[in-house]
Amino acid sequence: MPFAVGIDLGTTNTVVAAVRDGVALTIPDPQGQRLLPSVVSFHPSGSTLVGRAALDRRLLDAPNTVFSVKRLMGLPWGSPEVQASRAKLPFELCEGAHGGAVVSARGERYTLPEISAFVLRHAKAVAEAAFGEPVERAVVTVPANFNDLQRAATKTAGRLAGLDVLRILNEPTAAALAYGPPGARQERIAVYDLGGGTFDFTLLDLAGNVFEVLATAGDTSLGGDDIDLLVVERMADELLKTHRFDARVQPSALGQLRVLAEQMKRDLSAKDEGLLSVDDLVPGERGALATWKFRMTRAELEAASRALVERTFMVCRQALDAAGTKAHDLDRIVLVGGATRMPMVARQVEQFFGRPPIVRINPDEVVALGAAIQAALLDRSKRRTTEAMAHPTIADTSIATSLPDDTATPLPGVDLDLAEHLPGGELPDLPLVGLRHTPEPKPGPTTFLPGAASKPLVFDVTPSDKRLASRTMLYGVPPPAPAARPPPLPARARAPTMPFSFEVPAQSRAPTAPLLPSPSLPPPATPLARSPSLPARPAPLLIDVTPLSLSVETVGGFCDVLIEANTPVPCDRTRSFATASDGQTVVVVRVAQGRSARFAENTFLAELELSGIAAAPRGETQIAVTFEIDADGILNVRARDTKAGRETTAHLQLVGGQAAPLDIEAMQARQAAHPLAPLTRESRD
Amino acid sequence: MATTDALALFLSSLDRKSYYDVLRVPADARPAEIKSAFHAFSLLYHPDLYVNAPQEVGAIASEIFKRGVEAYRCLSRAETRGRYDRALVRGKIRVEPWVPSTRPPPPPMRTLEMIARTPRGKKLGVKADRLIAIARLDDARVELASACQCEPENLELAERLAFLIEALALEPS
Repeated sequence: MPFAVGIDLGTTNTVVAAVRDGVALTIPDPQGQRLLPSVVSFHPSGSTLVGRAALDRRLLDAPNTVFSVKRLMGLPWGSPEVQASRAKLPFELCEGAHGGAVVSARGERYTLPEISAFVLRHAKAVAEAAFGEPVERAVVTVPANFNDLQRAATKTAGRLAGLDVLRILNEPTAAALAYGPPGARQERIAVYDLGGGTFDFTLLDLAGNVFEVLATAGDTSLGGDDIDLLVVERMADELLKTHRFDARVQPSALGQLRVLAEQMKRDLSAKDEGLLSVDDLVPGERGALATWKFRMTRAELEAASRALVERTFMVCRQALDAAGTKAHDLDRIVLVGGATRMPMVARQVEQFFGRPPIVRINPDEVVALGAAIQAALLDRSKRRTTEAMAHPTIADTSIATSLPDDTATPLPGVDLDLAEHLPGGELPDLPLVGLRHTPEPKPGPTTFLPGAASKPLVFDVTPSDKRLASRTMLYGVPPPAPAARPPPLPARARAPTMPFSFEVPAQSRAPTAPLLPSPSLPPPATPLARSPSLPARPAPLLIDVTPLSLSVETVGGFCDVLIEANTPVPCDRTRSFATASDGQTVVVVRVAQGRSARFAENTFLAELELSGIAAAPRGETQIAVTFEIDADGILNVRARDTKAGRETTAHLQLVGGQAAPLDIEAMQARQAAHPLAPLTRESRD
Repeated sequence: MATTDALALFLSSLDRKSYYDVLRVPADARPAEIKSAFHAFSLLYHPDLYVNAPQEVGAIASEIFKRGVEAYRCLSRAETRGRYDRALVRGKIRVEPWVPSTRPPPPPMRTLEMIARTPRGKKLGVKADRLIAIARLDDARVELASACQCEPENLELAERLAFLIEALALEPS
């Protein structure tokens, strides 16, 4: 039976997860890797490599190996982000037909959604290989701060990959969902998500089974990649100084430095000092290659990246202000994203919020797990069996989702969150000494760099849950050897396991009776009866927000805000526009999204051309334009002529923005012409 | 399709309801009550709850939910709620809540205050500047017109008035 998956389409890595038999789990590829590198390589043989196989090509075939393009999707060619990336990426970016960036590789040009589609196809193939069933639908996550264009591009990528995109979900919101249902009392939590390329900060109120996003803010060009680049700069400086070798002018050398820099960064999360020895980079005497040794200390890395981490707190303040709350008033801080493994990040977060952050679920996988839960909630596959019914009901649906509570090992310097496991919800003074500020027992467990593949997976699914263990075995991933696991923690062992599961009471999903609340009747009681068994909880409801204000341009280049940032979605706003002169038949409205009061400082989305207006004296014709932001955070516009008795005569055209249908067909054809290299069990290296 | 009819009827009834009635809270409800009322409203009408329902049912639920969002956004902030309460007294049950940005935009050209020469003209100019900053152009026009009456010889001021009037014709009414 076809099933739905959750895909965390990351800048660096993509993770696919699904809820199967009531359990949310991330799906490993045949080699046992749960992090699928978001790298696409066009092989000379004509096949397209994605994931690990493509990652290896980053060193061998840098100009035809594409990575880190997620944050450039939907951005105009002239934007500073695109231009900055263009200088730093070893493959060729050029201007596309629609003003966006396109990748040029092996004589062909690919739009960025096409590149992402390859990654999504790979994720789809991994899930299909694992379960032997087709994947048709998916929830795909995006950084919360993505604008309309970036979301629409991601959705296009999903369509190109042959997926019905059930929802474009915000990454921090997904993480919050994975972190489980709130307790009985209201809680205010923050999700601090520092990924490979983007930073997001989201504040949520959790009450009952409602996850209400209060505010979100982010920076779509701030992430672990930027820290890598700082290390690359340092390396390049040193190479120039010691070996008179300018890596900056050689794309392949620069690509190699990026890989080395990432490795160095990871090493420095576990160790105080890292040493690299490279034999195949620097030319030495008599045409031979010289050995280059690079040494860096954690203190040096921290000093270099401090400013970047500081920038995240500016974003945090923005969201805290918007929600009218203070850093010290939050009940929980959740860390998400691979870059939060840096001990400095956890330390700075603790300092800023006045409490230690929580990392209970592997920060690389938590977003995909949340997306999988949302996919299970939104999956329409049940609809086929219920379509004949008169009333919408999924009474026969009982979604029980539980997360393996043991997927994460604690990060150094971070408290285990035990509160949720304890009946009272209170965190007693457990002996956590020895856990905090201890170095990680194993270096980078999720390392996927060459040579690291054979290392045991520390973050693997718990073998204590028999169901999961056997399931994991099925895909050829042996349960991690006991030695690979972190030393057992007495406090953790004592915590009673309470896998979270929720059920969907028939009433809540098919509110036939309370649908028509007469004004005289008292408001219906929340129809979500708690089942007597403790772990069963009602299905969560996410109320997400739009991250950026939507405005139209007014005179003088200012913004007239139609929908403010942090408004719950879906939402809409109707404005009427009048003609300015006699006989005018076209009205043009310019729309942008952003936080600035000046129109030009925001992201220009589209120009609405309201044409086909009947000629009339000025001001007489008024066209009502409804701007809707749907649950995906994508803008839809409808126009209506408000003059009595006349239906839609105004024709609305979006200039810019989404790709034209014709383009999509062409891109689909190209996807079909690029078969992905088959998934193999053996590692390629 | 009894459900569709019921939902559609409920949706049309919202046109006659104040934001308080939409969320079913008393007019003196505390912010916490408004929040939990919005949660209860969402648990009934959020479109995600209707993914298994026929599409038109989901579409109506979505329309209803959006009305709840409109009410919640207005009532959950003291400033917009206060303005709404005053409008409600005058019988206006739906407003387009305009929220001025926290930092006023820098004026694009010389401010009207700078252009005006007489004390009264300057006073009106300040008012008009402020109204322009929050895009209340129609109100700004009234102030600016008065300023022009004070200073009929001030050509720059007259020019700005003409500019504003021109802009207004393009403006959403």
